[in-house]
Amino acid sequence: MKHIRAVNRKARRIDEIVLAQKAAASQPAGTEADVIALQQQQQQRPHVPIGCTLSFSPGWEVDSAGGTAGLCQPVERDIYDCYVTCFWPAQVPDHLNNYPDWANKCASATKDWRNLDLVTP
Amino acid sequence: MKQLCLKLTGYLALAGLWASVQGATLFLGGYPSSLLVFDEGKGAVVDKIPLTTGLPTSIRLSNDKKTIYVVTNDHTGIEVVDVATRKVTNHFVLNTPTKRYRLNNGVTDPSGKLFYTVTIEIDKLVDHFDIGKPKYTIIDLAQQKIVQTFDIPKEDEEANAGAYGRGGFEISTDGKYLYQFRDKVVIFDAADFKVIDRIELSQPDMPGMENIGFGGQLDSIGEPGQHVSLFNSSDPYVHNRVFGVAHFDLQTRHVEFTPIGPSPAGMTGLHVAPDKKDAYTVVSTGALGNKRCEFWHFNLSTNNIVGRNEFACRTRFSFGISGDGKKLYIYGAGFEIEVYDAATMKYEKTWDLNNDVTMGGLITLE
Repeated sequence: MKHIRAVNRKARRIDEIVLAQKAAASQPAGTEADVIALQQQQQQRPHVPIGCTLSFSPGWEVDSAGGTAGLCQPVERDIYDCYVTCFWPAQVPDHLNNYPDWANKCASATKDWRNLDLVTP
Repeated sequence: MKQLCLKLTGYLALAGLWASVQGATLFLGGYPSSLLVFDEGKGAVVDKIPLTTGLPTSIRLSNDKKTIYVVTNDHTGIEVVDVATRKVTNHFVLNTPTKRYRLNNGVTDPSGKLFYTVTIEIDKLVDHFDIGKPKYTIIDLAQQKIVQTFDIPKEDEEANAGAYGRGGFEISTDGKYLYQFRDKVVIFDAADFKVIDRIELSQPDMPGMENIGFGGQLDSIGEPGQHVSLFNSSDPYVHNRVFGVAHFDLQTRHVEFTPIGPSPAGMTGLHVAPDKKDAYTVVSTGALGNKRCEFWHFNLSTNNIVGRNEFACRTRFSFGISGDGKKLYIYGAGFEIEVYDAATMKYEKTWDLNNDVTMGGLITLE
């Protein structure tokens, strides 16, 4: 929550719950970290919002590291799994809730992406 | 007599050659809402079975190999496809205007009447959606509705809570026991989802792999009542993770685990060739742009690795095997199937499906 500030009542409640959970989970009895040889700190990853149409930089889609190296090539191969499962944060409509028919005229996104429906939210 | 024997041998050889030329039939989920029927011999899509309830996200073959059960996610639908006629014989959706469900995969009882799965129920209220806890669920396919749900014990909640990636189910041939393969193997009484046993073997992970628990387990031994796959095991003292081959007899609940070596970072399940001796997996190391993949070839008679070969893997992909076990398939995240020779594990060719395929898996039928 360092980078995002709660601006309404619901968001503030979520903030409070998350902070309370973090505090409760910080040192629960009997679950202190074990000592492990050659222990490595997990590299911090960018806080890219998860979900369809939430990410606008650097391109239409980013991977879990905030870059594009982990994406499919060409990127059109990724369109449908972003659309259906929001697998990576990407600028595509969401299949489950709002746009189930977006890809109805397009069997292969790489070849026929011009047949994808236009969305005007 | 000698001539007759020679003729018979000739006919048999021809029949074998014909079968290998014909190849098996593959069934894959296709965008936007169909089941693709692919002929290995022709190397082409020969039929598309339209689905009325939406996009197929899970396909699963019945034990008698006569029926395919498809889960679609537009409105949380289930479609039953008759393999012989390639027609949909039953279809329905679970969602209503005020209720939605999420379900990934499941298994039917041996009679094909009940479908066992995990669902999450979502209630649409005036100002928000109320998302319920995951529950073990029995769907009656004839009544086309959920007939029973069971609360999931606290210790199993997390493993069943993910929107995707819940462990898939297998069932014993008499329908008495259900098996869920995930971070451990949990065995249930199929009548009431009471936990009978827990086995400390975990399914290997494969980041970016499209085998994320939608269809049946990645184990193409194709023998009802048997499950053979790779699992990770960790000792309780130094937590050394080793992988090995586990043979499950689903009927007797007998498990044989043979450890092989230290667990790689990522590993798929196991595809077993029809000879029940050769089996293959994909192992990956590195992440994102540094990812490298290898095929590993196992001999199941001795449970050891007999060959490895690196191949240029896609960022995300699924792994399959041909009907005769002589070809390995890399597909998914796109419209192509890359074909590798199983003996050499070298790339051979690419089949163009002209249709993107879903993460629902691949069914191979001779």
